Parts: sequence; C-alpha cells; structure tokens
Amino acid sequence: MTQSSRAPRFIMAALIALPFLTACSGGTSGHTQASAPPDLNGVWSAPFTPDISKPLGHQPPFTPYAADLFKKEDEIDDPLTQCLPIGPARGIQAGLMPFQIVQTPTTLAILFENQRTFRIINTDGRIHPKDLDQTWFGDSIGHWEGDTLIVDTVGLNDRTWLDTAGHQHSDQLHLVERFQKIDNDNIKWTVTFEDPKFYTEPWSVTLPIKRQNTEIMSYSCEENEKDRVHLKRTNTKK
Amino acid sequence: MRSTFFSALALASALFVASPVVAHHGFSVEFDDSKPVTLTGTVTKMEFMNPHIYFYLDVKDASGKVVNWAFEGSPPNILYRQGWRKDTVKPGDVVTAKGFRARDGAHLVACNTITFQDGRQLSMGNGNVKGYGKN
Repeated sequence: MTQSSRAPRFIMAALIALPFLTACSGGTSGHTQASAPPDLNGVWSAPFTPDISKPLGHQPPFTPYAADLFKKEDEIDDPLTQCLPIGPARGIQAGLMPFQIVQTPTTLAILFENQRTFRIINTDGRIHPKDLDQTWFGDSIGHWEGDTLIVDTVGLNDRTWLDTAGHQHSDQLHLVERFQKIDNDNIKWTVTFEDPKFYTEPWSVTLPIKRQNTEIMSYSCEENEKDRVHLKRTNTKK
Repeated sequence: MRSTFFSALALASALFVASPVVAHHGFSVEFDDSKPVTLTGTVTKMEFMNPHIYFYLDVKDASGKVVNWAFEGSPPNILYRQGWRKDTVKPGDVVTAKGFRARDGAHLVACNTITFQDGRQLSMGNGNVKGYGKN
C-alpha cells in the first residue's frame, strides 16, 4: 500500500470516529460524565448527645433483655470510664471533641480526637468480608447517592455504648449511616441502629454535623487518669 | 492585651458553662451536686493534662490548718480552644474555686468556675453535668 492510498482511509476513519469522540467529551448529545462526589474533607462535630433517646423523642424499642440491662447498668460501667474506644457512632456525637474527615476516591477516614481513634470507610465498591472479626469500630463500606454518602457497618463487638446514658448493643449491631452534604459547612447525619438482640425494630436519629474552625488535637485518656479510684456506683434500682 | 484576652476568655466561658462536655466518666458516679463547694486558696500545682486538667489549692480551714484540695476541669484541648494555656492558672495565683465535692469525701472538686483576685472569672468546663436521666 502506498502512502497516497493510506491517506484517504485515515481521513475516512477519523470522520467516522469524530461524532463519538465529541460525544464522549460531553460536548454533544446524551452522554455525560459522572459527577464527582461531594467533598467532606475537614474538621467536623455533631452536638454532644449524652442520651440518644432525646433526639429520638422516646426510648428506643428495647427487647425485654435490653430493657432489663438498661435498668440495671450504671454509668460506672461505661467503657469510656476505662478509657476504652468510643465506637463508630458515639464518636461522631462526641461534642467538643471534633473529628476530621480525610477523603480519597476509594477511602473515607474519620479521625476522632477522642482517644485518637479512627474509622476507615471503604468506598471502592467492595463488600463486607465473609469472616469478620468483631472489633471496636467494625467494617464499614460506603457508596455515594448524589449528595449523600451511605455507610454500612457490621462486625462490631458488644463492648461499646451508644451514649453516656447507657443505651447498649450486641455484636449483631448493624449500622446504616447517611452523611448528606447540605452545604460547605453542614452535613445532615442520620444513623439507623439495627440489633435484633437489643431492639425489636431498627430505629434512627438525625443530628447536624457542622464544620469546625479548629485542628484535631491530642487526647490521651490514661495520661493523667485520677478519677477511677473515686468512682461510686449510683444505680439505686437494684 | 491581657485584659482583652481575659475578656474573651470570660465571654467564651459564659457561653460554655451551659454546654456539658463529653468526659471519660459521668458526673454522678464521682461527684455530688448536692454538695456545692466554694474555696479560696493559693495554687500549688497546675496539671494541664488529659483526661482532665487539675489544679491544687492550699486552703486554710477555720482552725488555720492548711489542707490541699484538688480541682478537676475539662480536658485541656477543650479549654485550649477557649483560650486557656498551660499558665492561665499557675502556682502562686490566689483564686476562689466553685464546684461540687467528690462523693467519696476526698478533697476533690468538680470545678465549675474560678475567680481571680482582680475579679476575672473562668469556666473550668464542667458546669452542672449531673448524671443523664434515664427517663
């Protein structure tokens, strides 16, 4: 084939391909690029919520087992008293101890100032592993639906409390959270608790997460801990 | 500059008193809100550390005997954001501290506010964060 005969074929190929090339660039009909998800990077905080039944408006739907446990337990039994990890949902509403979100296309990390603990939310399309260890923060996977990150968490141990008032959970706890970005400084956070051992049906609360003008600081619960020797059981219902 | 700083601190403190903070323990398991305490003394030590700041006062009782009391406040990072620094309260300062006594009778107070001799007042961040009712 001579150069002179190849040129017309090249031109023909280019002309055939041209509509497809311009369409895929977004310049013409139909095909559009997927929007990038909202940017949640920054330092945030939800209001300190010591009793999660308050935003709910009533006590959650306890099973008989959970109701009996709630009646008997005492704040002295709060795992935070032992400087143990705060857990994924309670860490969000730790009030004046904020958290930082670090977001990449495949991972969203939530870094809690409270005891310098963290959550990893995988947003790369994976599913939960089949053989999960039960851990303090569980296994979290997330996906975006428009302006909302939906996070599914399982694999939690039963050792955290949901709040200071003592609403607890088992290792069957399944969390579903919706982080809806409202604007640059506001996220609407809705968390659904599903735990057939503790609650007869799933229940949800919504709290506002607001951007904070601060940096994450150090916090070491054991650094100068002097309270434990003074703690007294307060429950009088035994 | 110093008076402006304390004015800002006082304003932040006034706004902050109504806001209980997350602690690594509940209030009622350690302190008794039916036992308010107000003591004036000289600061002997300041611990600007986690999980709670502490300062210690030498306080003269009615007989003239000096007793050292411990006063507990919020975590240091929370106070730092309100303008506190390590030397905001320092040994040698004479202050009046108000709060609630420990349930076990120790010379230990969950401190709400401190007032310096020149009238400046600071919140220690505890407020009246008595136990969260289960009703």
